[in-house]
Amino acid sequence: MMIGIKNASKLVGISVISCCAVLVCTMFLNFYLDISSIEDEITSELSLIFYNAQVSTAKVVCLVSGGCLLITSVVMLMFYIKHYIDTHKKELGILKALGYSNLKIAVNFWVFGISALLGTAVGFGGAFLLMPKFYALQNEDKILPEIAIRFHPTVFLYFVVLPTVGFSLLAIGYAWRKLKKPVLSLLKNDFRTFVKTKKYREEKINDASFVAYLKKTTLRSKKTLTFFILFASFCFSSMTQMSFSMKELSSEMMGAMMLIIGLVLAFTTLFLAVTTVMKGNTKTIAMMRIFGYSQKECAMAILGGYRPVSYTGFAIGTVYQYALLRIMVDIVFKDMEGMPAYQFDVPVMLISLAIFILIYEILMAVYSDQIKKISMKEIMME
Amino acid sequence: MIEVKNIIKSYGDGESRFQVLQGVSLEMEDGDFVVILGASGSGKSTFLNVISGLERPDSGEVLYDTIDIAALSDNELTSFRKENVGFIFQQYYLLPNMDVDRNVKMGADLAGNKDYRTVIEAVGLGEKLHKYPSELSGGEQQRVSVARALAKKPKILFLDEPTGALDERTGRQVLDYICKLKNKYNFTIVMVTHNGNIAEMAKTVVKMNSGKITGIYRNEVLKTAYEIGW
Ligand SMILES: Nc1ncnc2c1ncn2[C@@H]1O[C@H](COP(=O)(O)OP(=O)(O)OP(=O)(O)O)[C@@H](O)[C@H]1O
Ligand SMILES: [Mg+2]
Repeated sequence: MMIGIKNASKLVGISVISCCAVLVCTMFLNFYLDISSIEDEITSELSLIFYNAQVSTAKVVCLVSGGCLLITSVVMLMFYIKHYIDTHKKELGILKALGYSNLKIAVNFWVFGISALLGTAVGFGGAFLLMPKFYALQNEDKILPEIAIRFHPTVFLYFVVLPTVGFSLLAIGYAWRKLKKPVLSLLKNDFRTFVKTKKYREEKINDASFVAYLKKTTLRSKKTLTFFILFASFCFSSMTQMSFSMKELSSEMMGAMMLIIGLVLAFTTLFLAVTTVMKGNTKTIAMMRIFGYSQKECAMAILGGYRPVSYTGFAIGTVYQYALLRIMVDIVFKDMEGMPAYQFDVPVMLISLAIFILIYEILMAVYSDQIKKISMKEIMME
Repeated sequence: MIEVKNIIKSYGDGESRFQVLQGVSLEMEDGDFVVILGASGSGKSTFLNVISGLERPDSGEVLYDTIDIAALSDNELTSFRKENVGFIFQQYYLLPNMDVDRNVKMGADLAGNKDYRTVIEAVGLGEKLHKYPSELSGGEQQRVSVARALAKKPKILFLDEPTGALDERTGRQVLDYICKLKNKYNFTIVMVTHNGNIAEMAKTVVKMNSGKITGIYRNEVLKTAYEIGW
């Protein structure tokens, strides 16, 4: 009744993220399962070493990037659903006031599962499309016997069925919990949550300018968003840098895949977070514009606080990917022959940083330009 | 002095094009207290938005002394608003996630006004400095918005139905605060209202109908907020 397919179509973010996560994980897990099954066919010493290396790579990549990807996509999807329901609080309140039962309203949120299903299905299918090429590349020198691509129902269950059901239930559950509140608190814009944290009041930033203060509150009031912006730049930084090293350490294919996933994940996250920040502050910006704050000052106040956050994310990502590759080369593949030496790649880091700064600043400029389009009519539409 | 010359403003395109202001002209002295009266939909808010530099007219001039603000660029218009005008709206539009002090500081910072707390006290909210809008009554919220507008030391204060959402007692109180502050700081007031009684407080009364000014008259004796009917 209130949230139909049309609304679910706005949730492309969910689909994109789950598609990415499922694509990589399916590919590696499937490869891992298929390669495990040929263990008996291996005869020569050389192929056994190669075989072990392949299995460990699949394991590490699956665990590290797949696991990292899975966890973050779950967190992000949960945030997405929470945010979506929070912003539609009023509609929930109206329906409740009209006399619909909580469960009846909440059940409608199963459609969130659709966007998860869409994403995971595309990811899963995509993985199978890419797999022939991937398998061939992994076994380029034909050291191992032919690895047949097989369909594993468990993989399908874990990566398609479970997320779909899980996110449907999650959305229904969260909506249901929200609905337990009294009708009035759903209908009213309540900022008492701010009041609860007395810290905000007594802090000694009283002499800070309004813009500086707004910058601080924007950052603090939505910590999840700050985390996502940190994560987005972390993703960009670690995945781009790692992909270059992967080219040498593993295969070009893996490098390219990491690069694409890093970029997609970083931009979806960043886009999602910054759009949410802007939407949440439209009224504030409109009011500031009316009073005569310039576009620059508004952009500074609302978006400026995230710059150090995202640069920090880049730094953490750099350290993370270095540590990860160090561990991989020094510990996991310690005994393997022909493993190229690994060293921190300064030029690659600098290039990624330059690209990162460029893209970040362009994006911020685009968003800042949108401030111009916010008119006073925005606040009149309550 | 504000001199408005032959303002035309339309909304919509093609068939649905609708002329909201059909050639409006008006002169306002510095320190004047102007009330604009008119039926709903007669174009009062649109007129207010145009003369305060929030919207641009299709044609016509809005002269502040010698500067035509209708011809200013976006950036120039922003800095014009920053230096000259204050706004008060029917719906207050306070920032919900900031306390009274911060809401008023938003205006004060624009004028570099460090002494803005005296304005908060002047509207009787000295005790509620750290309350959030959701913790205040409608009248108190409107007084915050008065303080916010005046903390930026405007030369002209624009008010669009400032008492529209308030009951009689609170409405009178808010108007009284505004008048007291006007006597202290001597800014120009341009107020849009439905309430014909409020016109008795004003020096100049402008009547609007269907996008035109249909009458202007001046009051010899000005009543206070507690002397008018409601
Ligand atoms: N952005 C807009 N787009 C299209 N039409 C508009 C817009 N703003 C106002 N109008 C139309 O202009 C006319 C005058 O509107 P305005 O808000 O100026 O009236 P008003 O005199 O302030 O009315 P009220 O007393 O109800 O506030 C109305 O018919 C309204 O529908
Ligand atoms: Mg109006």
